[in-house]
Formats: sequence, structure tokens, C-alpha cells
Amino acid sequence: MTGSSVVPAPAYPHGGLGRHAKLPPRERLRVLLIEDDDADAFLVGELLAETGDGIDLLVANSLNAARSQVSGVDCVLLDLGLPDAQGLDGLRQVLGMSSGAAVCVLTGRSDEHLGIGAVAEGAQDYLVKGQVDGVLLARALRYAVERKRADENTRRLREVELRQAESARLERGLLPQPLIDTDLVQVHPFYRPGRHEALIGGDFYDVVQTSPDRIDLIVGDVCGHGVDEAALGVELRVAWRALVLAGVPDEQVLPALEQVLMSERSAREIFATVAAVRLDLAGNRATVRLAGHPPPLLLAGGRVVPVPAPHGLLLGVRPRPPVAHELRFDTEDWSLLMYTDGLIEGRIGDGDERLDVSGLSRLVADPDTRRVGLPELPGWLVERAEEYNGGPLADDVAMLLVSRGEGR
Amino acid sequence: MDLSLTTRAIGEHTVLEVGGEVDVYTAPRLRERLVELIDGGSRAIVVDLGRVDFLDSTGLGVLVGALKRLRPVGGTFGLVCDKEPLLKIFRITALDQVFPIYPTLDAATSAESSGADA
Repeated sequence: MTGSSVVPAPAYPHGGLGRHAKLPPRERLRVLLIEDDDADAFLVGELLAETGDGIDLLVANSLNAARSQVSGVDCVLLDLGLPDAQGLDGLRQVLGMSSGAAVCVLTGRSDEHLGIGAVAEGAQDYLVKGQVDGVLLARALRYAVERKRADENTRRLREVELRQAESARLERGLLPQPLIDTDLVQVHPFYRPGRHEALIGGDFYDVVQTSPDRIDLIVGDVCGHGVDEAALGVELRVAWRALVLAGVPDEQVLPALEQVLMSERSAREIFATVAAVRLDLAGNRATVRLAGHPPPLLLAGGRVVPVPAPHGLLLGVRPRPPVAHELRFDTEDWSLLMYTDGLIEGRIGDGDERLDVSGLSRLVADPDTRRVGLPELPGWLVERAEEYNGGPLADDVAMLLVSRGEGR
Repeated sequence: MDLSLTTRAIGEHTVLEVGGEVDVYTAPRLRERLVELIDGGSRAIVVDLGRVDFLDSTGLGVLVGALKRLRPVGGTFGLVCDKEPLLKIFRITALDQVFPIYPTLDAATSAESSGADA
């Protein structure tokens, strides 16, 4: 931090000559001087006027008067000896009322230490009365504004970095490593953030194996986009994992998850949709439950059909356990594709038509798709959906592909 | 595409005509308008989705939110929608069992009660 007072006062009181070369003409600055002493205020005005440096000076003779004038000002020049706010207290008030403006303080010769304290508190610079000429004052004000802008840019950059780091952390929480140890099925998770990358979605998935024959899978979506929704998605996923690991009976898991949602959400209009699947590998069958979520696709015997599970009400509206749908696989070669609605909400063609469950089923059944390996299939489907959409999909997409045998 | 919102009164009902796309970007405006209407004393609200081309889960959340705001003050909330793609969304989410959904505005505004019983 610099204090301009360390520069020796120039010998000529009305400077602008000598070693202080005149600054090139730049943008006009609006400066608000808060100074109760009319003579000092007059002097500052004179100093700035003679530099011709494009500084428009407004004067307030008290902190109170300054409040109505501070908006749109580039820099505040504050006398630390005001009647209505002494010393650093005045500075704190000014910093509070002028978030965008740079602040320079004026101190007397005898209280220069206040200037150093002021910079520590957040002022950009301090000037000692009687030790500045016009050019030095103008330059100090411009530097203060530039420094404030640089600080502001650094702060914004830091915020973006923090937000990205936060998104990354949340994404890790939303998209865990599947907790499975079996060769009987393969699980391929997939996630793609939507077009609005700054707004992380609340899509989540999880896979938990609780016995050699039993695997639970869930794909869900907390409505809305933002850190709160994503954090709630993490909570729901972890709660679901805990409920499954704790051996809570299958039919009680989603009602308990709904209770978690309703007690943890920040607003009553936040709800979640989930598709939950419990695989019984020994019996080669599955129990599918839908809560406001589009149905998984079943790939088997050369056909692709949405699992005809009843549409359950989404979680968080009117608690009601989703109805279980028992699915018996006819073959040892099948896949279930679970996904969030971001995948099917993309446009197809120029009209308002969307891909939808039916379009996705056709796409998965397409001969071109059948040539794509199962591990690559989720990514390939998103690429096709983006192609139809004519650009990136608006919403996040989470997918779980679980396959047995040849997988279709 | 943008969101359009037009309010008018039909008898006892306050009808909010929504047009365009209700998604993560535009849903906040729909929420604001509905909150304004409810805070302003509207107790029989019909949201006409006839000119809505797209409704995502954020938009659904706003509609559910309005229903939940109206319920404790004894209000009613109905939707007008006859577009198959939108109706499909209400079916998938089972919200067709929560919202009274009418094929026409006439049907909605002449209904005895748009029962906000969620």
C-alpha cells in the first residue's frame, strides 16, 4: 500500500509543471469531496480545476449530506475530521455507503497515522492536507480509482473461481463412484452439465450394492438450478445411500427420502423427481418406482421400450409412496437406461417438438445406435440429442446405464 | 423465446395468460407475477398455458408453489392446457392429480371449484 504523502511536497504550491508531467486526457472522473471546512473544500476545488484533468468535483459538507450524492461517483475524497463522524468511524460509514467507489482520505499533518489505518481499513490511499498539489491530487484520485477497479476485478475473479470450485465439489457430491462389486452387471454412469454452466443443476445418481444379488440404483433431479438445489441433491443422494445401506425396507426408502426433502428444502416449491430401481440379480428381475420421473428404457431382445411403471407423484408435493412396478427380464441380455429430463427436453427440428421419451426410445433402437458400445452409449445419446437440438442442451443430463450379459 | 404474461379478470377469476417458454431463465418472472397476484388478494387464479411452448421442472415448481401459497388462504388454482406435450409432462410428474386441468378457459372459469386440495 502506498501513501502519497511519502512523496515530498513539491516546491511550487500550484504545481502541474516541473517533474510532474501533465497526465494524458482520460475519462472524466466524478469525485465526491466530503469536507466540512469550506476553505479546504475551496482549495481542493482550485487544485483540481487548475490541472484541467477532467475531474468533476461534488462537495458534501457532512457525511449525511454525502449519502444522497454518493451514487455514480468514481471516488470519494474524505476528510477524516468531520463533525458527524470522526476518524476511521467516518471512513467505515463511507465504505459502507459507496460499494463501487474508490475512497481516498485526507488527514491533517498531525494525524498521518490515521491515513495508514484508513488504508488498512479499505481506503485506496491517503493524502496529507497541505502536502499535495493539483497534479499529485488528480493522480492520486485516478490511481485510487484504478486500484479499486483492479481489486474489484480480482475479487470477481476470485468469486468465479470459488463458484467453480463449489460447483466441482457439489458435482462430486452429486455424482459418486458406484458402490458395487460384481461382474454380473456393468454400470455406466454419465453426467453432462447444461448450457448454463454457471447454474449447476440438482441432477444426481447413485448405485449401491447391498448383497451379491441386490443392487439399488437411483437417478433424480431437484427442480431448479443453483447452489441450494445442488446441495439438496447431494443431501438426497447421501440420504438415499444411507437408507439403502441401513437395510430400510424397499417400499419405505422413497417415503423417507421425501421426508428428508421436505425437512431440508429452503422453499416449499422445491421438489424432486426420482426413478429408483432395485435389481434382484438371482431372480433376474427388478422393482421400478417412479416419482414424477420419466421411465427408464428397457433394452432387450432387439427392442427398446419405456418401463411401463405407473407415474408416481414427484417428491415434496403431497407425500404418497410411489407404486412399485415389478419387471421380469425375459433374457439374460438386457440394459436399463435411467436418465434425467435434460436428455429428453431438447428440441427436434425447427418447431417446438421435443425429443421426449418416445423419441429417445426410437433413438436408442436405431440401427446406428446399436453399433455403439455400451460404455460409450450414454455419451453418444447426448451428442445425438444435441445434434437434434441444434446446440448444447439447456439442462444438465445425468444417466445410469446398467447392463447384464450382452446388454441388449 | 421469451415469456409473456398477461393478467385479466373473468368474473371472480384472475386469469394469467402465459406464453412462450417457462424454463430456468423465465420461471422467476412467472413466480413473481403469481406471488404479486396472491399477495394482491387474488384467490381464484387460473393460469392459461394455451400459448406455452415449453415447460420445464423449474416452471412446474413455480406452479406447485402458487398452489401451496393459495391453499392456506382458501384460494383455488386451476390450469388451462390442451397441448399434448404439456399434458404429458403433467402425467409423468403425476401433477395432473394435483392441479385441476381444464381444456378451455371457459371450462376453467365456469368450474365451481378449482379445488386447491394438494
